[in-house]
Amino acid sequence: MTRTLQAQDVAFAYTPPLDVFTHVTAAVRSGEVTGLVGPNGSGKSTLLRVLAGLLRPREGKVLIDGRSSGHMSNRQRARILGFLPQLVNPVFSLSVFEVVCLGRYPHLGALGATQPHDRAVAERCLRDTETLDLRDRDFMALSGGERQRVLLASVLAQEPDLLLLDEPTSALDIHHQIEIFALLKRLAGEGYGIGVVTHDLNLAARFCNQLFLLSHRSTGLVAAGKPENVLTEALLSEAYDAPIRVCRHPLTGAPLITAEEPAEVTP
Amino acid sequence: MTKATRAAAVAGLIALCVALVAASLLIGTENLSLGRIYAEWRSGEPLSKTPALSILINQRLPRTLVALIVGCGLTLAGCSFQALLRNPLATPYTLGIDSFGAFGAYAATIYGGTGGWLTFQFLGFSHVQALAFAFAAFDVLLIYAMASRKTRMAPSVLLLAGVTLGLLASSGILFLRYLAKPEQLINMDRWLMGGVDVIGYEPVVTLFLGVTPCAIILLAQAAKFDQLGFGEEMAAGRGVNVNRLQLTTFLVCSFMTGIIVSKVGPIGFVGLIVPHAVRTVTGSRHRILMPASLVAGGAFLCLCDILARKLMTGETPIGIITSLIGAPFFLYLLTRRRFTDWET
Ligand SMILES: Nc1ncnc2c1ncn2[C@@H]1O[C@H](COP(=O)(O)OP(=O)(O)OP(=O)(O)O)[C@@H](O)[C@H]1O
Ligand SMILES: [Mg+2]
Repeated sequence: MTRTLQAQDVAFAYTPPLDVFTHVTAAVRSGEVTGLVGPNGSGKSTLLRVLAGLLRPREGKVLIDGRSSGHMSNRQRARILGFLPQLVNPVFSLSVFEVVCLGRYPHLGALGATQPHDRAVAERCLRDTETLDLRDRDFMALSGGERQRVLLASVLAQEPDLLLLDEPTSALDIHHQIEIFALLKRLAGEGYGIGVVTHDLNLAARFCNQLFLLSHRSTGLVAAGKPENVLTEALLSEAYDAPIRVCRHPLTGAPLITAEEPAEVTP
Repeated sequence: MTKATRAAAVAGLIALCVALVAASLLIGTENLSLGRIYAEWRSGEPLSKTPALSILINQRLPRTLVALIVGCGLTLAGCSFQALLRNPLATPYTLGIDSFGAFGAYAATIYGGTGGWLTFQFLGFSHVQALAFAFAAFDVLLIYAMASRKTRMAPSVLLLAGVTLGLLASSGILFLRYLAKPEQLINMDRWLMGGVDVIGYEPVVTLFLGVTPCAIILLAQAAKFDQLGFGEEMAAGRGVNVNRLQLTTFLVCSFMTGIIVSKVGPIGFVGLIVPHAVRTVTGSRHRILMPASLVAGGAFLCLCDILARKLMTGETPIGIITSLIGAPFFLYLLTRRRFTDWET
């Protein structure tokens, strides 16, 4: 089922009247990988929470398929929308498989008992994220990157149509970063809609269909559109308030982005 | 741990609980034998002529039932608070509920009693019990009020607030002791040590009617508590209404522990050590952990009550026993690596 998650002209403030962003219009669509990029504190996580329905915007609307997402029950929304927070601190010691099974929650009955079908889904998601060999390990005893992949598996196990992922590759090695983004691209090809926050502009350039560039300097969007139109030296330098260089990747042809070293300060 | 060993452990737990209940019925100042009880029952004589049967029905059974219900309730409340506040130390006792209840009971003893202006009966609750309930419930609602403020407090901060409230109530208790007449002090201090030494079925019925619905509601939250273990955002993203879960848990636990404290006084450590001990056997899925803790909590308090009857000639207050067993056992649990899991 094709879905569209839209933020229309939203503004949000944790402590009004101090807006994190205003007049942001963004969308996550089935079949596409949509990237949210921007410097630290620019409001990427906040925008993702607003899109996920966890925060109510001060102004503007969030729509799922054109209907206000506020009218849905949390459970209904959780079947459509999967959300992976930037930081997850579990307090209970569970096995990796149990953690992934927790993702089935919105599909389970009142008592939360998993059926064979739910466990099969969990197995498949472990395989997709290359974590099947961790299946019976204690989640607490995993490395940071292993945890991140298991958590991604648990959100996939939720089987939502749209995935909102907050920096799902921040702790991953160079190989697994590509693996996860390739997985996201494959999922988008299968019809999922994916919204992903990332600091890795090069991966974003390579794998995203749409980019939204946020900056606190403009309390909102600096640019939106195709990666090659957003990832330009002028726009990036404005958003990050620092000199950013863009060239072509010699192998992939995608934009290759680096920040310049700050100029030497002469006393 | 494999599924089979886990199932065996749960089965063992249930068997242990049944054994302890049976022991609690038979052991006491006067030990009863099954043969004697059976013979007296077969004789068809009235209770006044069958001493063993009379002790069993009028004393041991209500007392054992009270220990069971109280153990179940306190453990479930502890388990729920630990899940909700994401902290291993969260229990009714550490949140100050028992101290507040005791403060209420002290106040009622000073200003009530024969001729006092605060003497009344309400739905089978004496003025002491009613005030203990009111203050215990007030403590939880105060913490809930802090938890649900717009600028949300971190769970660990809430726990600190609870501990502080408990200390405040303890100071209040000292102040009331200072005001009290010496002859009032004995009754007051005995109340502070907790006791399930009831006679008759009135407290059993009150506790059963109060605790059962609360326990059912809390057990129904098990899957949500699992989700909360991965943080409020994750739980909310999975469709858990975190605010409603918080409200439900606080309201239900305040009512349930309020009733328990009002009837048997403060009994510490049950809600702390039982869930943690059970967790090491069943794992942390609340769907298994909570029912298993319920059974184990009842069994544990039955055991403590047997000790209360047998440790010395005469009665040892059960609150003292739970603390004397609970504190060292918790220290032992703390030294195990498993607890590093809880760093938040
Ligand atoms: N819970 C909160 N309460 C108050 N202010 C917050 C809260 N969370 C974030 N902020 C503020 O909102 C702004 C945007 O934060 P946000 O987490 O959305 O940034 P981000 O773009 O995700 O940054 P990063 O790249 O570091 O993850 C920041 O200035 C931050 O200080
Ligand atoms: Mg962020």
